Amino acid sequence: MTTATKKGLQRYYEYRDRIAGLIQSIQESPEPNPVLIKFFTLVNEQDKRVIDCVENGKPLLSSWYGSAPEIYSAMDIEYFCPVDNILAHQPFTNDLEGMDAANIPQDMCGLIKLGAYGVEAGIVPVPTAIIAMLEPCDAQSAIHEAWKNAEGWRDVPIFALDPAYGVGTKDYAYFAGELRRMIAFLEDHVGRKLDWNRLREVIEVTNQQYAAWGEYNELRRAVPCPHNSFVGGKLGWVITQHMKAGLPGAVEIFKMLAFDAEQKVKAKQGPMPKEKIRVLWADLIPTWSDAFGGMLEQEWGANIVMDFQSYAAQYDPIDTSTEESMLLGLAKRNMAEVPMIRQARGKVDVMIEDITRIAKDYKCDCVIFPGHVGHKDQSASIGFLKEACRELKLPLLALTVDNFDPRYTPMDVLKRQVGEFFDAHGLGK
Amino acid sequence: MSESKSEALREFVEAAKTLVNPALSDYKKKGGKVIGMMYHFIPEEIVTAAGMMPYRMRATGSEGTELSEGYFTQVNCSLVRHFFDSGMRGRLSFLDGVVSVNNCDHIRRLYDNWQWKVKTPYMHFMVFPKKTGKEQVEAYREQLEGFRSSLEKSFGVKITEEKLREAIRLHNETRRLQRELYELRKADAPPLTGTQTLAALVAGTCIPRDRYNALLKQLLQDCRAEKGGNGWKARIVVMGGEIDEPKFVEIIENQGGLVVGDALGYGSRAIVNDVDETGDPLAALARYQLVDRPADPRIFGTTFDRNDYVVQQVRDYKADGVVSVRLIACDLYGFEQVNLSKHLKKNGIPHLGLEIEYVIDAVGQMKTRVQAFLESIAEAKHDNRN
Repeated sequence: MTTATKKGLQRYYEYRDRIAGLIQSIQESPEPNPVLIKFFTLVNEQDKRVIDCVENGKPLLSSWYGSAPEIYSAMDIEYFCPVDNILAHQPFTNDLEGMDAANIPQDMCGLIKLGAYGVEAGIVPVPTAIIAMLEPCDAQSAIHEAWKNAEGWRDVPIFALDPAYGVGTKDYAYFAGELRRMIAFLEDHVGRKLDWNRLREVIEVTNQQYAAWGEYNELRRAVPCPHNSFVGGKLGWVITQHMKAGLPGAVEIFKMLAFDAEQKVKAKQGPMPKEKIRVLWADLIPTWSDAFGGMLEQEWGANIVMDFQSYAAQYDPIDTSTEESMLLGLAKRNMAEVPMIRQARGKVDVMIEDITRIAKDYKCDCVIFPGHVGHKDQSASIGFLKEACRELKLPLLALTVDNFDPRYTPMDVLKRQVGEFFDAHGLGK
Repeated sequence: MSESKSEALREFVEAAKTLVNPALSDYKKKGGKVIGMMYHFIPEEIVTAAGMMPYRMRATGSEGTELSEGYFTQVNCSLVRHFFDSGMRGRLSFLDGVVSVNNCDHIRRLYDNWQWKVKTPYMHFMVFPKKTGKEQVEAYREQLEGFRSSLEKSFGVKITEEKLREAIRLHNETRRLQRELYELRKADAPPLTGTQTLAALVAGTCIPRDRYNALLKQLLQDCRAEKGGNGWKARIVVMGGEIDEPKFVEIIENQGGLVVGDALGYGSRAIVNDVDETGDPLAALARYQLVDRPADPRIFGTTFDRNDYVVQQVRDYKADGVVSVRLIACDLYGFEQVNLSKHLKKNGIPHLGLEIEYVIDAVGQMKTRVQAFLESIAEAKHDNRN
């Protein structure tokens, strides 16, 4: 094992130990939350698998969301997203300061800047191969180009998935072709063969996982919403995109969440004494979501009942009868259902349709559009968004934030902006 | 070269300064149709083959973005905000149509907003793959076939294979002439400045093709009769995206640097290769945009080639340094300067990275940085001589 391949392990040891400590503290708390214990246990196992690959020279793939992770599992390839843990452990590191010192334009997305910094700084393991996803934004492409220019990563074989722009049968067929070419690339460069029967088994589990997530999402329509802001999306994103696909434990987490939500809906019980404002957050969940969600709840009795990271109009079960049907199903899921790739890829219509549907289905009182600095397409959709909200007769608050850098718009500024907005529209009175 | 010595050059410089030049006005008065190319990757040849004029959309002369503010935010680049503002003000109302691809995140939404609010009579959108490969060329060829059909249907024209081949030959002729112009810049005392060259290339996107080619031939003759000036502090290659503003180059040249070469979208990257004149013309056009011409960062996996291309320009044009430029808020060019900087350092080539807005007005700081960069090159050259 060379020093280069062992790069980044130190960080993974820290991640592993920190999560283990967190699990222990939850277990020892007066009311241990079984969902969180289960979730963090899966996270911990994921970190251990990455460490095992690096320590023992096993294949390890760098990947991105929306890349059909079921295929990796069916090929018995471990994978990780290089920026995932950097974001998850942000409060415990000085990575934001490191990012500032790196030579990266300030007007880019914090996630992208952190990802570029992490690889350049050597806090991320060097993978065996890279699968790049070229949607939903320009910066995804740019960050993978940056990685290819980083020390130790230049010679790592890479395959980029080029998603189509539309949502028709031909578009899915094109992306299914890309997935087929990705499989060939992995067979060549990682040396593992795809077992189609295993793929069928994995997809059958992820079908259950998405169905359970969908069921949970439906329960959040209840008034009052059974859980706090962002619950579901925060766990669901990690489980479905950044963890080994097809783990039965993942299905169980969504079922546990749904079960708990169902009991609360039956009891008409929400997470706060009185739910006064129901909010749609039209973007991904920020790294500072706990502070923001907590502030909404405590200051105004507001709950973000749905967000883009949690939402897909419908997670269709994938038909596992043939190889072709599985690839087509995976193509559709990853292009048209996985959050953000769903809303930001393609024309503006999907984003506006989703906002309209969520606002109605979830009985929202207002829309908060964070105006994340990295989501250039969304910011250029602000006219459409205003029009949609006018038609829905819903107040819209447009902010400018960095979803992945809490310093960009300080919490006290957000508090003032949100407070003025709620006051101006008489919300929560 | 002084503009008074070449009427062709004067016409090019004037055309680059405005949206509507006299030749374009004449063309419109005679009933000619003009199709706006919203940014790049769109084969102009198909429009020419349809008997219409392709026009690269710009917002030259834009004085503000007030009419964009309701549709874009400050995280969007100033290029799209000025484009949209110009569209809303009717500054581009001479266009009979607009065609675009899903270029960058800003441009693809510019198209959506344009369709919604500006409503140019004919609008067409194509999907451009994000990487190169056989399947991607096939996919884009199919999109071009759709564009051809759409033009035929909307304008009642017939775009035959022969017309496409003729158009390819005509546009290749333009590229060949433009390359001749670039060859002249390799001289120790080039007859044209970088500012004039960029103006000449920008003019090629807004003057009817036959006239443009004739003027270009005239300019080449004028240049061959001209001896260039000396006394520049350094020879510079500029690298960047779709910079349509010669003023940017002028700032470098006003500080004493002579821009002899470039890796710009309107510059050498648009002319260095020809479209294949044999075989299926639509496939050739798709392959040209995706594979043959030096790539823009919009096409994934092309950084190394692009960096090598810049170094090659430096060598071919005997340049002393590189100035790269990025439009603020452009993610595709976000890491380009970082990556290029590393590459140039390895090759011992001085580099200055600049960030600009689409409309260049606050030039004070830029001038200072350029001046310091040129001084450092001049000093290093002096030290090397001693």
